[in-house]
Amino acid sequence: MDNEDSITKLLRLKRYEQPPEEYFQNFLAEFQARQRSEVIHRPLLQIAWDRFSSMFVMPPVPRMVMASSFAAALFAAVFVLSWADDDDTPTSLTLASSGAVRLDSGVRPAPAKTGSTVQYVLPARPVSYASARSF
Amino acid sequence: METPEPPDDELVRRTQAGDARAFDELVVRFSPRLYGLVYHMTASHEDTNDLLQDIFSKAYRSIKGFQGKSSFYTWMHTIAVNMAINFLKKRNRRKTMSLDDVDNGILNDPDFIEATSNGDPSREANLGELQKKLNESMLKLSHDHRAVVTMFDIQGMPHAEISKVLKISEGTVRSRLFYAHRQLQNYLQEFINK
Repeated sequence: MDNEDSITKLLRLKRYEQPPEEYFQNFLAEFQARQRSEVIHRPLLQIAWDRFSSMFVMPPVPRMVMASSFAAALFAAVFVLSWADDDDTPTSLTLASSGAVRLDSGVRPAPAKTGSTVQYVLPARPVSYASARSF
Repeated sequence: METPEPPDDELVRRTQAGDARAFDELVVRFSPRLYGLVYHMTASHEDTNDLLQDIFSKAYRSIKGFQGKSSFYTWMHTIAVNMAINFLKKRNRRKTMSLDDVDNGILNDPDFIEATSNGDPSREANLGELQKKLNESMLKLSHDHRAVVTMFDIQGMPHAEISKVLKISEGTVRSRLFYAHRQLQNYLQEFINK
């Protein structure tokens, strides 16, 4: 422990290794001159880029807000995409001008009744109607 | 009546808003302390001067990104230490310090008087030798160990502050200090036991 203290005391001596007072007075002037020269000698492209990027500077946003916004955007995107898929699901359906109907999805028209509109019936019971436990 | 100096935070906010004079004030405020930090790591006044200019330039360029999660003091020290370590890694040669650099204030330090005199004239004669040995010993430490010794022993920073600056745990700070001190004890044995 004594050795430890001695080392600390010896190292503390190095605090005195400071430049003269004038150094710090000149340091600021030197720094300012250097800053000015950096500005003058900066490539035009970099200046243009800095100005361009400064137009999009956003205030700092808390992480939580960022994460929730991202999640909301993701959810909205998934919702919109699945909705768009649903719209595409119906298969091609062609109604001929004569009233004949061609369906690619296996749905056939009900026998036409005179004076009524065309109705469609499914060829079999929908799968969702079938009992889950049928052996 | 003198107006009180504005706190660092206020100067930082003003700088972020585009007031370059506020940053000048920060330069004046921090340069002596950062000079000491960099100087004790590089052991060269010339390199310290160049590096300190680079450090403040970098700080000025990045100050818009400073969000105040740590104090400005810690932020500046982190920049300074990282840049000094990078500089040392690039610098292969190791400069020995000139004894002319040593400030005369050292002669008035009670610790120094105690360490060098104790009524022993031969030790007084060793004043120059001690300074030389101290500096050589510091240069033998690894960059990481030197940074910790500089901040703790020379600059008097607490362990907690050093751990924030270096982004390491307090335990690592203590461990680095322990090993650095042990190394220094070996190098400075003749001045410790006498």
